[in-house]
Amino acid sequence: MNSMAHPEKRDLGRSRRYGDGFVEALLFFAAITSILAMILIFYFLTFESFLAFREVGILDMLIGQKWHPAGEIFGMAPIIVGSILITFVALFINILVGVPLAIYLSELAGRRSRELLKPAIELLAGVPSIVYGFLGVLVLVVYLERSFDMLTGRSILAGAILLGIMFIPALTTICEDALRAVPKEFKEGSLALGATHWQTVRNVTLPAASSGIIAAVILNVGRIIGETMAALLVVGNVARLPSPVFDAFDRGAIFTSVIAGEMGEVAHGSMHYHALFAVGFVLLVIVTVINISADLVRAAIQKKFGGY
Amino acid sequence: MKKIRPAPLASLVVALFLLASSLYYLVVQPGDIPLVPFWEGGLLICLVLMAVSILALHREGVNGKGVDGKGAYKKVVDGKGVDWPLGRLLPLAADLAYSLLILLLISSARIRPGLEFELLNLSAVFTYKIVLPFLVFLASFLAIKDSINLLYGYSTRGREVLVFSMVRLSAVFTLLLLGGIISVILFRGMGAISWEFLTSPHFRLGTEGGISTCIQGTFWLVMGAMLISAPLGIGAAIYLNEYSKHSGLKRVVTIAVGCLNGVPSVVYGLFGLAFLVATFGLSLLAGSIILGLMNLPTIILTSQEALKSVPNSLREGSVALGATRWQTVKKVVIPSALPGVLTGLIIGVARAAGETAPIMWTAVTFSATPVHMFYGVVPDVSQPVNNLCYHLLNLIYFLGAWDVEEKAWGTALVLLALVLFINMVAILVRNHYRKKISW
Repeated sequence: MNSMAHPEKRDLGRSRRYGDGFVEALLFFAAITSILAMILIFYFLTFESFLAFREVGILDMLIGQKWHPAGEIFGMAPIIVGSILITFVALFINILVGVPLAIYLSELAGRRSRELLKPAIELLAGVPSIVYGFLGVLVLVVYLERSFDMLTGRSILAGAILLGIMFIPALTTICEDALRAVPKEFKEGSLALGATHWQTVRNVTLPAASSGIIAAVILNVGRIIGETMAALLVVGNVARLPSPVFDAFDRGAIFTSVIAGEMGEVAHGSMHYHALFAVGFVLLVIVTVINISADLVRAAIQKKFGGY
Repeated sequence: MKKIRPAPLASLVVALFLLASSLYYLVVQPGDIPLVPFWEGGLLICLVLMAVSILALHREGVNGKGVDGKGAYKKVVDGKGVDWPLGRLLPLAADLAYSLLILLLISSARIRPGLEFELLNLSAVFTYKIVLPFLVFLASFLAIKDSINLLYGYSTRGREVLVFSMVRLSAVFTLLLLGGIISVILFRGMGAISWEFLTSPHFRLGTEGGISTCIQGTFWLVMGAMLISAPLGIGAAIYLNEYSKHSGLKRVVTIAVGCLNGVPSVVYGLFGLAFLVATFGLSLLAGSIILGLMNLPTIILTSQEALKSVPNSLREGSVALGATRWQTVKKVVIPSALPGVLTGLIIGVARAAGETAPIMWTAVTFSATPVHMFYGVVPDVSQPVNNLCYHLLNLIYFLGAWDVEEKAWGTALVLLALVLFINMVAILVRNHYRKKISW
């Protein structure tokens, strides 16, 4: 009735509705962009690496003992071993420093020192990786060379130390959030029962925050494996199996360093080019699996211990 | 008031000295070590003092005096004093034996200057100057642990002090480390910075000139990336938070964003090489698209966080007044969420400015090329540009061959300052509005 009495108002309403629909369509497109991007990334990496997998054979490529592009031998075992070594050592350093720092920030630090420290650590999470790599080359590599009388300081150990230090802020920030999300009542209950502060942290706060902490650690595994520039500059980038497999003092190569180090020089469309895409594809699959499992682990642990 | 046990306290002080000095020699490595006799003496004193304090603690328990001499606590303290369960005794004995072993090894000249050995075929040689400080460091560390335990008579309080001092130590260590990183770059880079360095292009493979074209290129790359990622990211966040009715789509998008967030930067580079370079060639446009895609998850996640924090009552109020959904979003939700969204955008800028791997093969070139401008305002997007990160990478490659170290330090400083400054702005914006807005 009303709309008949005021036709111009009805028109306004309609154009408004059409405008709304148009905006919604635009927003919908924006929302599915990330799905599209993910599909495109997977498609192009699969597409470009398909040739290499077909020529070399999937199994030969994944467990082949030698990576020798000039001879068209593409086995990823040295790269995988290097990546595993680096990840373990880097994660060890990362957790050893990062988690205590998070405990300090959430439990021990006074208000003022936390207000100073927290932004500082967040700030450091943003230092570009190439700057870490630069320092690694000029400081860490030189130091290792001098200390251990190595042929060259560029080694898996150097990469691991650098990556371990680099991702301390990332780990600390997430862990601290997880620790602070533990409700006060839990801690107060424990303290009221006569437990010391440390007993409370160990038996109440840490278990309650474990889902966040474990998820943070798994996410950091993904970050360490996927970090490129810093690793490229200090690991030495020689893709061969270390002579005892655990020899972290030897030069090595990881997924990212092989791709970044060799892609600049290969001919477009050669077998080497496709093999590097295959390395990238394996890396992408590993990192995606890690990221999804981090999410699942968090959900599973939260279900087990109850959310809050 | 607790009685302070003097013996463990003294051994703690000595052990701290050992720790600090050995750490110094481990890190700085000034060559020969004149402190060796002091270390021997320190270890000996520590051993004796710890043995004394173990006996004293034992006797305390036997005499039934208790730590503070009060009847009420006697039983508990007695139990701790007398009882030496295996789990406590064995580590203590092992620590003492280790210190003794080190002491004997040093004084019997088994560990002497010129010592060299290899281990397990590792490709490293362990020499005197690194082995000795390391062993002493370990011994002093163990001595500190045991001294604190003895000082508090193995009470829970002692454990707390021990753990929390370790935690504090790790915090100090991190801060020193991270502060060191920044100050090293600051001090070494300062020398290279001059007006000329910032305003002239580089030539002769970067050994001369400055980094003006790199700054220009970085600026336009970041601008292009933000032009692509800001509308898409904010739009996606609005759709997910305000419009989407299917939880299925929302879930899929959330998973995709999570995955996209974790995709390594080098994979973005490969993707750009295969997809965009084939279409647009090595160009500013290709680099911008890649950086934009890389920023997308950051911006979506932070914007979503900001939108979520806007209370529903505001939306309901707006809808009750007859506003459509888009009007509500435009006039009510976005202005309220703006600080959070802005923080996300600024962090995105910093990330895009600091990335190397995604643009290495898609958008950059090393030889100095100023960005060609149409009408002085629109950059030519079909040409490759210079970039700070890529420039630094090339200078690092040249380090051994040409004299570029000073320029490299300068470039690193400019890059670091740029990124840290942008991040700091983001943090300030966030903190400012977090204090101001309270729903």
